[in-house]
Amino acid sequence: MKRRHPVRRVVLSTAATVSGIVVLIGLKPTASTGGGAQAGGAAATGAGQRSGAAAPASASGASPKGVTVTVTVTGKTVQTKYGPVQVRLTFTGGRITAATALQHPTGNKISDKINAHAVPALDQETLTAQSATIAAVSGASYTSAGYKQSLQSAIDETRA
Amino acid sequence: MTTIQPSRASRRLATGRARRRRSPAALLLLLAAAGAAAVVGLWWRDTPAVTGNADRLVNAGRITGLLAGYAIALVVVQMARIPALERRVGSDRVARWHAMSGRYALSLTVAHVVLIVTGNAMQTHASLTAEAVSVVTGYPDMEKAAIGTALLVVVGLISAAPVRRRIPYELWYYLHLTTYAGVYLAFWHQLSTGNDFAAGGRIARWAWYAMYGGVWLLLVWYRFVVPVRMNFRHRLRVLETVEEAPGVVSVLISGHRLHRLGAQAGQFFRWRFMSRGLWWSANPYSISAPPRPDLLRITVKASGGHSAALARLRPGTRVWAEGPYGALTAARRRRRSGKVLMIAGGAGITPLRALFETLPAASGDLTLIYRARRTEDLALWDELQAIAEERGARLRYAVNGPDGARPQITARGLRKLLPDIARHDVFLCGPPGLAEEMYAVLREAGVPDRRIHHESFEF
Repeated sequence: MKRRHPVRRVVLSTAATVSGIVVLIGLKPTASTGGGAQAGGAAATGAGQRSGAAAPASASGASPKGVTVTVTVTGKTVQTKYGPVQVRLTFTGGRITAATALQHPTGNKISDKINAHAVPALDQETLTAQSATIAAVSGASYTSAGYKQSLQSAIDETRA
Repeated sequence: MTTIQPSRASRRLATGRARRRRSPAALLLLLAAAGAAAVVGLWWRDTPAVTGNADRLVNAGRITGLLAGYAIALVVVQMARIPALERRVGSDRVARWHAMSGRYALSLTVAHVVLIVTGNAMQTHASLTAEAVSVVTGYPDMEKAAIGTALLVVVGLISAAPVRRRIPYELWYYLHLTTYAGVYLAFWHQLSTGNDFAAGGRIARWAWYAMYGGVWLLLVWYRFVVPVRMNFRHRLRVLETVEEAPGVVSVLISGHRLHRLGAQAGQFFRWRFMSRGLWWSANPYSISAPPRPDLLRITVKASGGHSAALARLRPGTRVWAEGPYGALTAARRRRRSGKVLMIAGGAGITPLRALFETLPAASGDLTLIYRARRTEDLALWDELQAIAEERGARLRYAVNGPDGARPQITARGLRKLLPDIARHDVFLCGPPGLAEEMYAVLREAGVPDRRIHHESFEF
């Protein structure tokens, strides 16, 4: 029976929700940076010895020994609901310099349409993040999740 | 003729249950808020970074989508007629929560749709229409979700006050049931396209299934299993109808072992009378006397088609009831003993008539003010007088003057009648206008808000 103020309530709840969401999004970093250096560093120490795919590169003075090592690592194939995903990474001097999806869900219009946009976005995110801590691409949840798993396994490969 | 006479036995039966209980409202609101925080936490955990405006929109869309999915589950569970909610928080309050959270959930849903489509359109450089089409046709379960959302929006629109007033209650009610279809259809895309549930978030996915599954179980249990079991057990039938005042009719209902229903004075059932033209609508009417092992009574004022038709009910008509619901009982008082004032307006006398007989109060501690248009409209007056005499309670009525002038019930008048009114628990039941007016008067007379007990049903 207390007096109710419907308009005030609507204004308040709208304002609270909108500002809450704005603050939450604002608190997130604008690019994935956390963990990037770590993964890169790990790759730098491990890359040459472990992967077996190591190839001497033209001298550029970036690596400790004065030789830039370019390593290509292939992640494991991850099965998703819509098809397999597999990522290949190229490390140059301990940094991820290329990320490519060798496999991603294809074979129907929907998957093709989604992944035509999502896969390049994920490749790009990997280069920026230098780690498997990348944001999923909206609408491509399964591909994103599979991509992250395969990416992580590729990074682990260089570290093991 | 069967009459319900006030009896010591029924009073003893009813007062034994009057345990004082706190309303769990605050705790429930806290839990709901904690759940919302956990849902937003999912997004927080799964989002390492937000880059660019398109991404900001998409992420705002994700948050509103998650919250909408959560809010919808809460909106539905509030209508599961869970006894703890109906009897301790109060059906009227839960219905208001439901309406409020329904509006909120729908707003979140609409925001979710707009944000996701706009954000994706910015990412793919498509037009809004093209993107909307591709979102619906291109993602798993999205066609279902689009239909479901459309249903929810329609239900929201017909529930908006201006529309609601113009359509019959039954039509509104049955259209409202399509909510379940809408919720079901919109459910699947949450799991298959939601970043926080697809692939990686197994625990989140199971939590979501558990939440919706739990809501569904509660619905099936309390809206189907419990009423069916109750009606098979008690086998209610109309015994007879009695005209109490012009346009006011009592329906006496017989059944088996009715004391086992657990109904308390002040509570109501939703009644469905299995006769032609009545069976398809269930209406809430308070019991107007403490339940007897073989007899229940409701007293109804003819205000709509349904209540008017009750006078013509034949003895023997089967009755389907759901309940008891409502929190306007003796348990609502702040203290077990102490003085009580009841104010009834018109048909609002029904729950108070039952409480007037059974509410624990010493002789002289109980007062009932009964407001009606004319003296002949004072339904159940003889019974009230008999109870007042037996219990040593005060009984006053206020009717319009011969010229139609409304009697003034003022703070001063109340203080004159009850000098210690500020220390009374007040039970208030009547049409919305009167209830609001009386609430203001009572506050002016010094009765604190927490001691004014009121239930409002504006269906």
